Amino acid sequence: MLELKRVQASQGRNQFCFTGTLSQGKCTALMGASGAGKTTLLNLLAGFVMPDSGQLLWQGQELATLSPAQRPFTSLFQEHNLFAHLNLFDNVGLGLHPGLRLLPEQVEAVDLALQQVGLGGMGQRLPSSLSGGQRQRTALARALVRRQPWLLLDEPFSALDPGLRQEMMSLVSDLQQQYQLSIVLVTHDPQEALKMASEVMFIAEGGVYWQGHGNEFLQQINEPIQRYLGHTTG
Amino acid sequence: MMFDYVRHHAWLGFSLIALGLIVGPFVVVVFALSGQFAAIDWSLLATDAYLRAVIWFSIWQAALSTVLSVGLALPLARALARRQFVGRGLLLRVFSVALVIPPIVAVYGLVVVHGRQGWVNELLRYLDLSSGSYLYGLVGILLAHVFFNLPLATRIVLQRMESIEPESWRLASQLGMSSWQHWRLLEWPHIRSVLAPLAALIFALCFTSFAIIMSLGGGPRATTLEVAIYQAVRLDFDLPLATQLSLVQLVLCSFIVWLGLRLGRPAEISHSIGVHVVRPDIGSWQSKLADVLLLLLGLVLIVLPLSGVILAGLNGHWGQVLGDAQLWLAAWNSLWVAVCAAALCLFMAWGLLLMRRHTQERWPWVAAVLESVGMLTLVMPALVLGTGLFLALRLWVDVFAINLYLVLLVNSILGLPFMLRVLTAPYLQLARQHDRLCTSLDISGWHRLRQIEWPLLKPAIGLGLAIVAAFSVGDLGVVALFGTPDIKTLPLLMYQRLGSYQADAAAVTAVVLLALCLLVFVMMEKGVGGRRA
Repeated sequence: MLELKRVQASQGRNQFCFTGTLSQGKCTALMGASGAGKTTLLNLLAGFVMPDSGQLLWQGQELATLSPAQRPFTSLFQEHNLFAHLNLFDNVGLGLHPGLRLLPEQVEAVDLALQQVGLGGMGQRLPSSLSGGQRQRTALARALVRRQPWLLLDEPFSALDPGLRQEMMSLVSDLQQQYQLSIVLVTHDPQEALKMASEVMFIAEGGVYWQGHGNEFLQQINEPIQRYLGHTTG
Repeated sequence: MMFDYVRHHAWLGFSLIALGLIVGPFVVVVFALSGQFAAIDWSLLATDAYLRAVIWFSIWQAALSTVLSVGLALPLARALARRQFVGRGLLLRVFSVALVIPPIVAVYGLVVVHGRQGWVNELLRYLDLSSGSYLYGLVGILLAHVFFNLPLATRIVLQRMESIEPESWRLASQLGMSSWQHWRLLEWPHIRSVLAPLAALIFALCFTSFAIIMSLGGGPRATTLEVAIYQAVRLDFDLPLATQLSLVQLVLCSFIVWLGLRLGRPAEISHSIGVHVVRPDIGSWQSKLADVLLLLLGLVLIVLPLSGVILAGLNGHWGQVLGDAQLWLAAWNSLWVAVCAAALCLFMAWGLLLMRRHTQERWPWVAAVLESVGMLTLVMPALVLGTGLFLALRLWVDVFAINLYLVLLVNSILGLPFMLRVLTAPYLQLARQHDRLCTSLDISGWHRLRQIEWPLLKPAIGLGLAIVAAFSVGDLGVVALFGTPDIKTLPLLMYQRLGSYQADAAAVTAVVLLALCLLVFVMMEKGVGGRRA
């Protein structure tokens, strides 16, 4: 279990204070209006943003003092997931050693991961020769070789066509089952999120506004959630 | 844990060494100059006619050079933006290297074209018109300054013009805009922001220009502060006067640079030549005629002196000059000093950028201070820096024995603003794009440099090294202050040959110097930056 205890941060003029829990082995959808602080929360977890105060506990251990590379997370961003000058193999291999000095079994692991995301045999190609979907698959392969328990997805498929997006979502679901991954997913499409996520964390008013099971989320009659879902008029 | 701590903070040590190398000499210079303070006679500024003439002439020639360079660059860039012609790419290439051509070579080219026995006077005599000497004095200085700064200004203005969206041009042609409206509504708004810093840069470069004034100026009516400082140190050994002149120069120069930066943003120096757009305003015969005349003027001002150097060199006695060991020794000195100065400059710039990246989130003021440290050398002219180091070091070491190392250090500091202009934008862009990914994958320090930064920044690094190295090859400022009869660089040798009327030898030396300068430029640009750079 990942616990946030009054984790405070400020971004520009906005103040945030997050308290909540994220359950292990499940997929939690992070929802909220744009600018509500979803990405800030994700950045706090990954360590790209330092909290002003509060505790961030994973299995009882404080994470806030650790560098991003030491934390149990691996991230998939919306874009710039790959280095354009490195081929797919090297881009994935960077997840195992930042200087690309790989042991023979690590080389195998990279090849295997590329196969698992459907890019087997394409290790020598450059990102520029790939489609948007293939690039995100490569980033996913790197996430797999890193063997971190948590996967943070920051709208990674929003730039893809609907069909491709479906495909990527089901690929992520399969990999989640296979590797027992815990996932935090930021998305702006509630319908899509609920297909994949069993849990929902709703961010509003500078903090975690509501947290619960996905199927209960749509029944909420709280004003911010109703407005977010577009159920109120005026 | 300990090891991790050291590894994650290694950048700090690197940056501090770089910062020390930059700031150290400045501190030394300030201390050295302050030692002369007591002996300065400030009333000289009010009473001494020579001093006042020198200050006035420095400002006057720099202002005229700036107005001419920028004023001609605007229509010339417009002509280049409007026309496609054979040799346009080559012309732009010549423009982009013109800035780094050794001043002494440019001076020689001007002598070939405009001198008493030059092409222009030959032509006038042939036509039975009165010929005469007009090169020495203000006219020659302006010709030389325009030679260097018109191409620089034209490139920067052209780059801005080519950044106008093609859609804007299509829209403009649909709306039936006239040529004047294009200028007012499309071009001017794009150019305006870079104009003030560009003018300030050119003013500062002309204000502190040394080799050109030394060769084409002279006497109280055509001497600048920079030359007066040199004379005070090297000829009269009047240190209080040198300090006083340095301070006056420093104050005026800082004011101009500060003013320029306040009024706009400096343009980046880069390779990129924008996509050529077919503009709607190219049809009328008036515009065609105007553009042809402008391009011809550009050719006469810039390409003609360069051809002069090469043609005069071809007629020289190559065997005799090339057989002279002095030439090769001087060339070797120029070469290694230039390459080392460029490398040292890169080290300094990298240290500054590294620190700026690490501090810009948490301590923005540190990053702001670092940015201005990079500009510091723009206001500290070469001879002020050289004079200060000379005064400080002469107490402990034989300055003339280590002269080339001092030249190396000063040249790397002087190159810093150019290196930073080339490197800063791509470096920070890379940081914005990849910082999160790099931290999450623990790619830092050496790994980051080797895997990420080097491959992506190679072209910019190559260009930065090329500019600084080529500048350094042609330097005839600091080296004149420290030079000795037995340790020379190529520009110094060239200067002496010009001065002692060895016209033949000078012609060949000019070609060798020009070739060395371009060779170093291409070697750095392509060799480091990659073939496609």
